[in-house]
Amino acid sequence: MNVARQLPISPAATRAGTPVPSAKPPFLGFGLGLRAQHYDEILSSNPPIDWFEVISENYMLPGGQPLRILDQIRARYPVVMHGVSLSIASTAPPNFEYLSGLRDLARRVEPQWISDHLCWTGVHGKNLHDLLPFPYTREALDHVVNRVQLVQEYLGRAIVLENVSTYVQFNNSEMTEWEFLAELSRRSGCWLLFDVNNVYVSAFNHGYDPRTFLEGVPADRVVQFHMAGHSHMGTHIIDTHDHPVCEDVWELYAAALKRFGRVSTIIERDDHIPPLDEILVEVERTREIANSILPPLAAHA
Amino acid sequence: MSDLARQQSDFQRGILSGDDSILAEIPDSPKEKRETLFGVYRNAYTSRLVEAMGNDHKLLHIYLGDEMFDAMGHAYVAANPSQNPNLRWFSSSLPDFLKSTEPYSKYPVLSDLAELEKALNDAFDAKDAPSIEVADMAGFAPEAWVDLTFRAHPSAIRLDLTTNASAVWLALKADEEPPDAVQLEQPSRLLVWRQDVTPVFRELAAEEAMMWDEAANGIPFGVLCSMLATYDDPDSAAARGAGYLHGWVTAGLLTGVSGGD
Repeated sequence: MNVARQLPISPAATRAGTPVPSAKPPFLGFGLGLRAQHYDEILSSNPPIDWFEVISENYMLPGGQPLRILDQIRARYPVVMHGVSLSIASTAPPNFEYLSGLRDLARRVEPQWISDHLCWTGVHGKNLHDLLPFPYTREALDHVVNRVQLVQEYLGRAIVLENVSTYVQFNNSEMTEWEFLAELSRRSGCWLLFDVNNVYVSAFNHGYDPRTFLEGVPADRVVQFHMAGHSHMGTHIIDTHDHPVCEDVWELYAAALKRFGRVSTIIERDDHIPPLDEILVEVERTREIANSILPPLAAHA
Repeated sequence: MSDLARQQSDFQRGILSGDDSILAEIPDSPKEKRETLFGVYRNAYTSRLVEAMGNDHKLLHIYLGDEMFDAMGHAYVAANPSQNPNLRWFSSSLPDFLKSTEPYSKYPVLSDLAELEKALNDAFDAKDAPSIEVADMAGFAPEAWVDLTFRAHPSAIRLDLTTNASAVWLALKADEEPPDAVQLEQPSRLLVWRQDVTPVFRELAAEEAMMWDEAANGIPFGVLCSMLATYDDPDSAAARGAGYLHGWVTAGLLTGVSGGD
């Protein structure tokens, strides 16, 4: 079910200083993070999933089967590209080789939007392949706003940034994470991916109420939800994406729907990936909860 | 250096080398000490990279067993910090590492097995290109054949292994007990490529390997046949060359053929 329109890539917008397209991405419905374990079943059975989110780096390859399958899935479903290596908050020089690969993939896939994480992944030419935290300072805000603007100009479109799960905070932070996200989105024009599980994880780890986070994010900037599972270690939670979504996160999802309205949603699973049928139950639950809380789509529109 | 840049340097050093100076800038959480919380990042770093190596080298992992693969993986991660944003390429230097680092260098079958797995991985997602077909060859007049040159499919990779790693690979793949590792008197000449979407390999005789290597370098068919004539019966060299060529074409190993100018 393709309920979306394309966000065009405007060549004119790649010129420095030109505003990037800022139309709010459309509501895509209820989707799933695409994983190789499900390729065959998706292609043979066309499951009732509204859209797929794909990990950009998994397809930033010279050729072969992954890209061929992505083309086939893209022909049937709306697709969003979700990266893990943009490293938008890194103080290392921008990696234009990476950005070029990302832009090439976007030209092939024509995704509804391109997202990544509000984090950094390395400095000094090294990549730690993790979504690393940084202090929420005015200095960091200026730096990330500049980087987002650079990336948006390069890609010719507004990007979407996700809040990550964090395990540490910094003594020199000058604002909360939600204040940082709100200001970043306002100043750079980027949209926000509200990862419900990550809010729950970070709130537990740092001892605040996840609903405070929820209330602090500007409702009109949120264009996507992530739902995922985690591993509870007692004193802290690790964002492992290897379990079903827990009941507390479902409750927070319901609260997020009430605040943000109808938002494109996916289930993310990265480890202990279950059969497609099993994960479709969770996708259906995201839809059922949204339908039970929000007015029908026609009335909503 | 800005505060943010310095903090990121310290944070990264804390993960890569165990330096604790960043901890002075991190508070304890309500329920946990900062050392434990920062340790989540430290632990995730190596385990994530070793897991990626295991995905790229499933049979080497089986061959070494969990414990030895894990120890080898830790040593590789320590010696080769990732420099590419894409985890896909992290294991690329593993064959060289195994060849040059003790104790692994004492067992050349390890680097050979890693080399073969790497070649299969590289063939899997190599650049796409159309393959020529037998009918494409039929379009050339017999007298034009001496000048024909060929272009190898981008997925094609030639390996010369010094051990019986390919037999070890085949046994492990079939879930069978691998043979004892053996150092070969003559190298095992392998050709790895992608057939449709599946990476495959086969062993080449010395003569075919020579012809492939030279053909891939752009040497025309007539010269290739002259070279074959030095390997075996000169009278059948052209027929042997045509036979090898036919095999490559039907296997999808060639992506281009050109006549002489």
